[in-house]
Amino acid sequence: MSNPKHDKGEHYLLTPKAEPFLERVIFNNRFVILVMFLFLTAFLGYNAVKIKPDASFERLIPLEHPFIINMLDNRDDLKNLGNSIKIAIAVEEGDIFTEEYMATLQKISDEMFDLSGVDRSGLKSLWTPNVRWVEVTEEGFQGGPVIPDGYNGSRDSLESLRQNILKSGQVGSLVADNFKSTIIYAPLFEINPETNEPLDYKAFSLELEAKIRAKYGEPNPNINVHIIGFAKKVGDLIEGIGSIAMFALITIGLTAVFLFWYSRCLVGTFVPIFTSLVAVFWQLGILKLLGYGIDPYSVLVPFLVFAIGISHGVQIVNQMAVESAKGFDAMTSARLSFRQLYIPGMLALVSDAIGFLTLLFIQIDVIRDLAVAAGVGVAVIIITNLVLHPLIMSYVGISKGGIKHVQNHGEKQDRKWRLMSFFSHPSVAPISILIAVLGFGLGIYYQKDLKIGDLDKGAPELRADSRYNLDNEYIISNYSTSADVLVIMVETEKEKCSDYGVMNAMDKLQWTLENTPGVESTASLVTVSKLVTKALNEGNFKWFELSRNQSIINSSIQRAPSGLVNTNCDMTPVLAFLKDHKAETLKEVIAAVELFVDQNPSEDFKFLLGAGNAGVEAATNQVISKAKDMMLFFVYAVVSTLCFITFRSIRAVICIVTPLALTSVLCEALMAQLGIGIKVATLPVIALGVGIGVDYGIYIYTKLEKLLMEGKPLQEAYFETLRTTGKAVSFTGVTLGVGVFTWIFSPIKFQADMGILLFFMFIWNMVGSIWLLPALARFLLRPDKMAAKARAVEAEGN
Amino acid sequence: MRHCFRKPLTKLLVFSLFPVLFLSKSYALDDVLDAPSMKTNLAAEALLLDVAAAGERIVAVGERGHIIYSDDQGVKWTQAQVPVSVSLTAVYFPTDTHGWAVGHGAIILHSSDAGETWKKQFDGNKANQEVIDQSEKSIATLESALESAPESQQEDLEMQLEEAQFGLEDSQFDAEVGPSKPLLDILFLNDQEGFAVGAYGFFFKTEDGGKSWFNVSDRIDNKDGFHLNAIAQVTGGSIFIAGEAGLVFRSNDNGDSWVSLDSPYDGSFFGTSGTGNVNEVLVFGLRGNLYRSIDLGANWIRIDSDNEATLIAAKDDADGIITVVGNSGIVLVSGDSGESFQSVIRENRKAVNSVLLLENGNLLLVGEHGVDISGPSGRNL
Repeated sequence: MSNPKHDKGEHYLLTPKAEPFLERVIFNNRFVILVMFLFLTAFLGYNAVKIKPDASFERLIPLEHPFIINMLDNRDDLKNLGNSIKIAIAVEEGDIFTEEYMATLQKISDEMFDLSGVDRSGLKSLWTPNVRWVEVTEEGFQGGPVIPDGYNGSRDSLESLRQNILKSGQVGSLVADNFKSTIIYAPLFEINPETNEPLDYKAFSLELEAKIRAKYGEPNPNINVHIIGFAKKVGDLIEGIGSIAMFALITIGLTAVFLFWYSRCLVGTFVPIFTSLVAVFWQLGILKLLGYGIDPYSVLVPFLVFAIGISHGVQIVNQMAVESAKGFDAMTSARLSFRQLYIPGMLALVSDAIGFLTLLFIQIDVIRDLAVAAGVGVAVIIITNLVLHPLIMSYVGISKGGIKHVQNHGEKQDRKWRLMSFFSHPSVAPISILIAVLGFGLGIYYQKDLKIGDLDKGAPELRADSRYNLDNEYIISNYSTSADVLVIMVETEKEKCSDYGVMNAMDKLQWTLENTPGVESTASLVTVSKLVTKALNEGNFKWFELSRNQSIINSSIQRAPSGLVNTNCDMTPVLAFLKDHKAETLKEVIAAVELFVDQNPSEDFKFLLGAGNAGVEAATNQVISKAKDMMLFFVYAVVSTLCFITFRSIRAVICIVTPLALTSVLCEALMAQLGIGIKVATLPVIALGVGIGVDYGIYIYTKLEKLLMEGKPLQEAYFETLRTTGKAVSFTGVTLGVGVFTWIFSPIKFQADMGILLFFMFIWNMVGSIWLLPALARFLLRPDKMAAKARAVEAEGN
Repeated sequence: MRHCFRKPLTKLLVFSLFPVLFLSKSYALDDVLDAPSMKTNLAAEALLLDVAAAGERIVAVGERGHIIYSDDQGVKWTQAQVPVSVSLTAVYFPTDTHGWAVGHGAIILHSSDAGETWKKQFDGNKANQEVIDQSEKSIATLESALESAPESQQEDLEMQLEEAQFGLEDSQFDAEVGPSKPLLDILFLNDQEGFAVGAYGFFFKTEDGGKSWFNVSDRIDNKDGFHLNAIAQVTGGSIFIAGEAGLVFRSNDNGDSWVSLDSPYDGSFFGTSGTGNVNEVLVFGLRGNLYRSIDLGANWIRIDSDNEATLIAAKDDADGIITVVGNSGIVLVSGDSGESFQSVIRENRKAVNSVLLLENGNLLLVGEHGVDISGPSGRNL
């Protein structure tokens, strides 16, 4: 990295006695510092191992958004709508009316009853006494549990079971429309009232797998078990984090191979890996000490830290080999390497860190956590890879093979660099620029399909073909239910929530929503009131209406589900079940609600958006779409400013930033084409990509500028740049790419999305800096003037 | 706030004084009795409660003030303009162009263009007032009778007076609650003379095509105010009313006088219908109870409906084909004027609230999930 000071520094670097203060402190106390590193690593490593997976729901949502504020205000009252598990027990052959099926169902139902975390009073299945049939008779209501008295599995009792089910109105909710499965519904305690412990999602999910699926589903080919619910999803997510360990091993292995291929030296391979791993442990340990857990998003930061660490380690190994080849011993080579690299290395890392910190503008905690985690990681690398690494190298030195590999700089090896230097040739450069313009055009054209939010059905966090999403698909297609719910909270004065005026407005809102594309059905206290009023009038649908008679309303909602009205009767929710959670669907539905609220103002009630998963997603989408442009602006502003401060030239800034911008545009086009929306997971990638990507350009430009100032013609200077810095840069690009590549196979969908996008950005930023930067330099830079100016400065200095 | 708008003059005055104030919406929602039914594409899929033929045209009514009509035997439907958004429970067309619909809030609507546009003729506020006026009138009559009555009749008259006063209090209380009671069925003998029956003994008559409706609930013996669920005219001219708690009333003089018939059943009857034969009548209701009489209700025969699903509505056809429909998707079809029925349970088990025989013999069913066309037996096409 270059600034005028730094360039001047290069001159005295070559005089062995000129030791920077920092270098003297570090290298004269090698042993003490190493011991300190040992203790610190032991301490932080110990903490790192203790770090806990944390998939807290609140960290994923924009807490400052009005929808979320409304939701959290009413969270106690909405609780009953929320956390539950649905288990569909399905038969492969035949239907549910067999002795065997009912026996299995009974066992599973009992098993759920005993499961810790389940709210037993709310547990529902055909076997629980709260599932009843009701019939209107001349004397009034008659009813009983759906399992007939004296059930014995005989054909007769199965037939009366069938009749009871039909009378119970559970077809579509607890019994599938095709009678091939039934549901066990289990509400969960967020805090276990017996132990006062919060629900352990991972343990609960594993228990479901072990006690239900593995025990009843897998051994029996005729029984399939489908499990859905927030707790199961979170459990699967946390389990998904576990597979990260394997990715980590693969990444380390791949990196080792690349490193050895690059350095041809075992020391040069394993010391960078070791120091980068130390960086990872430090980062995790510090996060733990700061009170952070590791969530499915920030779990990826260690990979980034590792990759960035490696890319800086490579520079040191490279420099060590160069110095050793000159005949210096290990200690001197290490000192010289440190002396040359600590300033540019630090500058590059600081620019990375600032790039990450722009993420703090987004009001979503996981993204902020990600920014903190990445920031800490980069800070740690400065210490581990710029200090620890050269220190270790000063003891072990570089192997002979490594030195030989560096010395082996024949024309043969240079041929590819020679060829690539033509990117700066006057007749190749315009073609490159043309292609770049074309790239921008195509990028902008395809980018227009770019969507905000999650685009896939089911749980967007998991892959479409994941077990959870397949189960979800099964239950949605066999039952009248939807996984996507928007909750509108209706607030009134105490005891006023069921007033006719309020209920009538809710009814109007429901009908307006049902007429809005994307809404499949709605439910509220009004629905209950109409249904019960009908039932109390002997089941005659002519009475399916909200009565204006308050006492009829009151008696109709006496036994309404607790989720639909709170104890004070000052909040009652309207639920809209949506066909999906695509951004446009949410936008349209939200707009419909807002229009309705706007057109029907009242002092008696307030309609507040928006809870439910759809409300949260809508809020997140709004925050993300607002933050996206601002964040891009900040990232580019920061990067451009840094470049300008470093090089004092607008032309330099254009040379470096244009390839980045091309990558950003192409990346958005790629997202649009791959159906990846801008969401909590992918928004940070844009900042990370630009923040890290700018390093390449800075390295290349620094070297190129220096050579141009020395008076070399552009193509010659570029050739020289390529065979030194270019080589390191291309290696760095590949290393970073490899570091994130394995995520593409993550069972967690958004990690895969992040992997694809980061891989693309790291590789393309590298390509852009090697291919497009010289073409731009051909048009923008004035080598004559730069050389003349450099001479003038030098003359002045003398 | 609302009451001051009753008088047009006050309204005019207030609007001209505070034009700006009233341009901004001052209160939330229009009353369902005043709010036009919302335009929707879903009316043919939402809850429908009755269907009738208006000449070639088919007209169906349902929840939220939905009225839809079809000119192609139920394939394509158009939503009519309706000035209210309460649920409409019944529709009847005595002629090809004139029809009436009733519903919640004791609403009565009239169409003179075969169901395309509808105007409000009557509502629960008027109904309550009508009942109050009549109570007051009868109290006045009783009071004057009491003054001139001989001692022997006084005690009796006092009892009647007391009862009438209780009745007035009840209806005054109802008026305070508001227009909450629904009308449940309507029958017109021609385009002038018609009857509307409903909840808690509502019974109104018009003789001028619905311009004015008057309370005739005192013409039947329904002191307890049981729901009157259905009214129908059978071949031969007699009119039957079926209601809650096994009530069956008959009039042989176009509704001027009514007799209460001995009921074969204690539970509720939801419908009544002729069979196409002179003086034959069906009543039906809760839990599949279906009775047939061939002597204007003097004697009843229980018909086995082979099912316990509640029966709601029926249509009879000149060829002796009768279709009875009801909850849980039940469809009963008789080819012998109601002597026996074949039952079919619709696959979706959704309630069927009314039925119409189509020209090609298929059935047009309306119910919980809107319009459905089935084969002549009630099975899917």
